[in-house]
Amino acid sequence: MSDLADTQLVPPSSVVLVSGGSRGLGLAIVTALLDEGVRVAAFARTVTPELEKLAAEHPDRVHVGSVDVTDLRAAQGFVREVEQRLGPIDGIVNNAAIGQDSLHVHTATDDIARIIETNLTAPLQLTRLVVRRMLGKGLRGRIVNITSICAQRGFPGLVAYSATKGGMDAATRSLARELGGRMLVNAVAPGFFASEMSAVLGPTQLDQIVRRTPTGHLTEPVEVVPVVRMLLREHTNINGQVIVVDGAASI
Amino acid sequence: MNELSRAQIRDLMAQVLKNQDKELPADDAAQLREIGFRSLDFSELALRVEDETGEELNFDAPGLRRIATVGDVLDFLVELQQQ
Repeated sequence: MSDLADTQLVPPSSVVLVSGGSRGLGLAIVTALLDEGVRVAAFARTVTPELEKLAAEHPDRVHVGSVDVTDLRAAQGFVREVEQRLGPIDGIVNNAAIGQDSLHVHTATDDIARIIETNLTAPLQLTRLVVRRMLGKGLRGRIVNITSICAQRGFPGLVAYSATKGGMDAATRSLARELGGRMLVNAVAPGFFASEMSAVLGPTQLDQIVRRTPTGHLTEPVEVVPVVRMLLREHTNINGQVIVVDGAASI
Repeated sequence: MNELSRAQIRDLMAQVLKNQDKELPADDAAQLREIGFRSLDFSELALRVEDETGEELNFDAPGLRRIATVGDVLDFLVELQQQ
């Protein structure tokens, strides 16, 4: 069989599944996609009032659910519901992840397993599930993995977390090759946010990062959203890339 | 569970410092910064406590950031054993 590249363009995603869409960057991505007229399916362990509000405002274009990304059966059920309500999924944003803030030697073995399951195994399974459905229907689509600068630079207290993010960066490249141009697969790697996951670093470390950042501030979700939106919606030839959004802190 | 006392932990802390030709002051209020007891020294001490008790001590980093004195180290490890 020939594995010659497919030259047809991948259209902008019209039904996008966002994992971990209830707060922070995930919620900001859901909001931006809705503003753009896209149909959005978002799940998270806990559906927040903010996400409920979006669902109420756009009843025809939003489907939300309380699903733990590590529960594959629940994720499968959710995908089926989404297809019935919004139509076939042609975009995925793998955003759900858990953080870490403990030295490797003092991290419980169960916690290491949980970090890997949530941040690496689960998004690979979810991607497999959705890509199977897209390929089976002959659809073209886009995949965006939210990773982290931790995948490329070292930070204490984030060993297992960094390993999962590096794993997703690597998977991004191989999947882009494997899907032979039928899907555009990219990763967006934000620097540290001032909020949420960056409780992982102490104020001293965050101050140090800010001092070393040419743009002079930590990354905000609103600065990452346009990149995700572009990867899902614009006609570009970007494929298999990891785009760092960190104000050149790591450069 | 075979818990170590505060005094036993203090002895282990003195050994960690002694290996680096440093001395552990008798005063619990002594600042770790001044005696040169760093975060990986804390890890070493915690692992020595684990060796003695046979129980793993797992903990997150934020708690460590509040530790500034010898007394803080001892308090932290005494409490951690009880969790």
